[in-house]
Amino acid sequence: MTFGTPEMLAVLPELVVMGMALGLLVLDLYLRPDQRGITFALAVATLAVAAVLAAVLVPGEARTLLNGQFLHDRLGAVLKVFLLGGTALALIYGRRPLQRLAMYRGELFILMLLASAGMMLMASAGTLLMAYLGLELMSLSLYTMIAMDRDSIPATEGAVKYFLLGSLASGILLYGLSLVFGASGSLALDEIAAHAARAGVSDPLLVLGGVFVAIGLAFKLGAVPFHMWIPDVYHGSPSPVTVVLASTSKLAAFALLMRLLVGGLGPMAEQWQVIAGALAVLSLVVGNVVAIAQTAIKRMLAYSAIAHVGFLLIGLASAPTSGYMAPVLYMLLYTLMGAAAFGIVSMLDRDEAPARTIDDFAGLSRTHPWTAFLMLILMFALAGVPPTGGFMAKLYVFQAAVEADLVWLAVFGVLMAVIGAFYYLRVVKAMYFDPPERTLGPVGDRVAQGAVSVNALAVLGLGILPGPLVELSLFAVAGI
Amino acid sequence: MAVTQAIFYLFATVLVVAALMVITARNPVHSVLFLVLSFVNGAGLFLLAGAEFLAFTLILVYVGAVMVLFLFVLMMLDINLQRMREGFLNYLPLGAVIAFVLVVEMGAMLAAGGSGAVVGGDGALGGTEAGNTTLLGRVLYDTYLLPFEVAALVLLVALVAAIALTLRHRPDVKKQDPGQQVRVRREDRVRLVDMPTEGAPYAPDTGATGSKGGEG
Amino acid sequence: MLESYLPILVFLAIALGVGVIALLLNFLVAPRNPDPEKLSPYESGFEAFEDARLRFDVRYYLVAILFIVFDLEIAFFFPWAVVLDELGATGFVAMAIFLGILVVGFIYEWKKGALEWE
Repeated sequence: MTFGTPEMLAVLPELVVMGMALGLLVLDLYLRPDQRGITFALAVATLAVAAVLAAVLVPGEARTLLNGQFLHDRLGAVLKVFLLGGTALALIYGRRPLQRLAMYRGELFILMLLASAGMMLMASAGTLLMAYLGLELMSLSLYTMIAMDRDSIPATEGAVKYFLLGSLASGILLYGLSLVFGASGSLALDEIAAHAARAGVSDPLLVLGGVFVAIGLAFKLGAVPFHMWIPDVYHGSPSPVTVVLASTSKLAAFALLMRLLVGGLGPMAEQWQVIAGALAVLSLVVGNVVAIAQTAIKRMLAYSAIAHVGFLLIGLASAPTSGYMAPVLYMLLYTLMGAAAFGIVSMLDRDEAPARTIDDFAGLSRTHPWTAFLMLILMFALAGVPPTGGFMAKLYVFQAAVEADLVWLAVFGVLMAVIGAFYYLRVVKAMYFDPPERTLGPVGDRVAQGAVSVNALAVLGLGILPGPLVELSLFAVAGI
Repeated sequence: MAVTQAIFYLFATVLVVAALMVITARNPVHSVLFLVLSFVNGAGLFLLAGAEFLAFTLILVYVGAVMVLFLFVLMMLDINLQRMREGFLNYLPLGAVIAFVLVVEMGAMLAAGGSGAVVGGDGALGGTEAGNTTLLGRVLYDTYLLPFEVAALVLLVALVAAIALTLRHRPDVKKQDPGQQVRVRREDRVRLVDMPTEGAPYAPDTGATGSKGGEG
Repeated sequence: MLESYLPILVFLAIALGVGVIALLLNFLVAPRNPDPEKLSPYESGFEAFEDARLRFDVRYYLVAILFIVFDLEIAFFFPWAVVLDELGATGFVAMAIFLGILVVGFIYEWKKGALEWE
């Protein structure tokens, strides 16, 4: 085994995050409660620095390092920048809400860093083992963060549900991975791909393993019929943690999917394409229709997340023919949209008047016009109304479906997007046309306000000028 | 070979019986104890298959630590046994289907995986030349260095999570701090006060500026 | 390889034998005249009020899980100790990092007061 400079440079972002998590864990012990801001600031700075490092150290061509454990490629680098940036944003948005929930503790920031480390490892997993370890590192940290709101019954319920169903999903995934390992005789994803290309469907063990892996991933992504945990967990979790659950942990699950299904079982794309298509249809129907019936904003956004996984899966079902640009673009944009939407919701949460129902947004445009405007952008973006980024993301996905001769899937997706627009517009109607019932001001410092403004405006801007993000997505998938 | 085979069937039989008892025992504490028995027998099977390290890990970690945790958690929860037994028949069909699927899969795996030696220890990785533990050690700290260190991080998360979620300091607890007791100096505890010797028991004239507390 | 485990098997057989014989002798030799009053649960002249099981404090769980973490650490030491002379510096550094991470956890646990029993 060699520890040359190139190896160390490639894993530098991971090392920074892990090392700082360890350092902060000790540092935080020696800080007074009123100095908690130091840990917070250092955690955010660590994520930012690691994101910059990941962007700077992007490799020219894909390489496997550290005896094949670590895959250093463009897709990983792009995903990592968004994973780290998204988690940093979640922390920034969550500062005041966390203080309100008495969760502004050193452990939370350290767990956030360790969860990010897990996500990064998922994004660069070169072997099945690394993929699974990264997933567990992230999931364990997330379960804990939800349960840290100890006196809240919904949070505890959400944590237990997430833990039980998450463990079940991990178990199914692990079973699938072990079958794949048994069939191919290797943990390395490239060797598994080689075996899949040779054996294909003639190897029943590989097919069975592939199905289990797909189910495990569908669980983690929250695709119907493996979605039942999403609404309760999103609703029950403390809002700042929901931001991470909805944005970066989704992106990490997608990264895992790209590694396992595309990197490992890519030669069997024809088979999992069908699964992705079926899950897409189910997710779109359930997500969009059930969201209409929701009154609680976080539940509504949770079902909307399920629907968005449906759109993502349309892109994935057509990707083997028309390229992986569309799903990557969709997922990157959804990470931005989800982070900002849940971020605003978390800032509006209050003890005395929790922004738990859509009615609580009534008249927000009169009391807080800027926040209402940002929310308007995000709702339009999630609905896919031009000229927001959400429209562009959907457009590329539908285009990909048409290119892949899945016109019916594209048409179905458009229909579902129209149905979905209804419940997003309900929030807009409440904000702009209903009289204000109570004054809900966003809690959040200036930094958080500024960050969420930039985040939401970026969603709008990427709809008007989608060029950079399209280029970035094309750059990320160039190696596939 | 006949002896090892006999031992294999002995361990396997006890294992299956113990596993059945785990799910049928009325008292959950008995279930845990039967689980311990089945783990010990499982360790025996691992040994027979030549997987020494797995056998020891099973004893050390599962029997030694995880089962203790199980017992503590069992004693922590207020389990209503009657209610747990309700609905057994309702879940039976689903459970049977899942069990059937698992059996079919295992059969498929055995059919696909060839017919290596199950007992005897020589069929396992490495054969007789070097033990299983040695072979594991050769790759674990070299080829699998990154997963190995990440495993430490996962353990760290478990540690932090357990403390963050369950540790509550009670404010009303009084306790000794030995460090402080040792560190204490004479000056902290003993104060020498210089007092004038008292003269007459009653001083009639102390002046108007003195305190009035002692009077009256 | 299996021959080296023969003593353990013999040990297990003897342990099992002693246990079974003790119970069996008791069963065969001791006089037994059960009647309903003898068999009924008895507690200071009253019927038992409740289950003898008490709910444990959650701190036992904390101790157990901390034990598991360090128990697993020990499990990782076995293969390392066996092949340390083959591994050389790499293996040493690998284990040093592993231990370092867990020592950080240990410092955290100590400073937090999780090892104290109030």
